[in-house]
Amino acid sequence: MACVNEKGQLSPAGKKLLGSLAVESLTTQDISKNSGLPIFKVRSNLREMLNAELIIEENNQYKISEKGKQILEKNNLDK
Amino acid sequence: MIENNVTNEVKSLPRIGSVAPEFEAATSQGTLRLSDYKGSWLVLFSHPADFTPVCTSEFIGFQEIYPQLREMNTELLGLSVDSVSSHVAWIRNVQEKFGVTLEFPIIADLNKEVAQKYGMIMPEESSTETSRAVFVIDDKQIVRAIIYYPLSTGRNMQEILRLVKALQATDEHNIATPANWQEGDKVLVPPATTDELANERMNDDSIECIDWYYCTKKL
Repeated sequence: MACVNEKGQLSPAGKKLLGSLAVESLTTQDISKNSGLPIFKVRSNLREMLNAELIIEENNQYKISEKGKQILEKNNLDK
Repeated sequence: MIENNVTNEVKSLPRIGSVAPEFEAATSQGTLRLSDYKGSWLVLFSHPADFTPVCTSEFIGFQEIYPQLREMNTELLGLSVDSVSSHVAWIRNVQEKFGVTLEFPIIADLNKEVAQKYGMIMPEESSTETSRAVFVIDDKQIVRAIIYYPLSTGRNMQEILRLVKALQATDEHNIATPANWQEGDKVLVPPATTDELANERMNDDSIECIDWYYCTKKL
C-alpha cells in the first residue's frame, strides 16, 4: 500500500491526511485544499485507508476511525 | 470474432470525444484509477521503456512543464510495460544523474492492460513496447486529443502544453485556435452557421473579419 504498509507505518502523505481527519470530517476537495495534495492522490489514499478501515465515509465526508486513531497515535510515538 | 479456434476480441480504441476507458493500475505512487483524476485534466502518456535515452529526455521535459500544467489544473501520468521496481529505480537514477525529480506517477503496465485499452502498442513497430502516445483527457474524463509518435522521436513538450492551453481556452471562451496559436494570440470565432449570422458578424465591431467565415478576436 502506498499510504500505510502491512506494519501499520504511514507514509508522510498518509500521516498528513489521517492527521487532518483526526481533527474534523472533511470532503475530498477539503482535504486536497488543506493538504495541498493533488485530488488524484487524495482519492487514492482515501481508498486505501477505507480498505484498511482507518477512516469512515459518511455523506461524502471522511473521518478517522478508532483503528485509524490507534495507528496515527502509534506513528506519532514512533517518530 | 472466432478464427481458427482463436478468439480475437475486437476492441474499439478511444477516439476524440469518447469517454476515456477506466482503469486501475499499479504506479510508482501507489494504485491509481483513471476516475481518481475526475475534476482535473490529465495528460496520459506512454513511453517505450525505462532506462532508455529518448524516454529519459522526454521525462525530464515532462517534469519541466509539470508545474505549468498543474497551474492549469492538469496532471501527468506516464505508462510503460515495466515494473514498479523498474520505474522506482529509473526515477532514482534520473534524480542522481540528471538532478531532476520526477514528481508525477508512472503506471507499471506489465500485463499491457491499460496499453491495450488505449491502443498504445503499435505491433508493426514493437509488440513488446508502448509507442509514444499522448491522450489529453479533460476534467469530465472525455478524450480531447490524441498524439502518436514513433519510438525514435521524442515528443515536443511545448506542443503538449500549447495543446492543453488551446483546449481549455476553447472550453472557456467557445472559440477555436488557428495554426501555431500561442497564448495571447488572437483566436478564431466559430464560423457563422446561417446567412443572417454571417451578416451580423461582418458588422460586429468587437471582432475582426477577413470574410464572414474567418473572424478573429483577442481574448
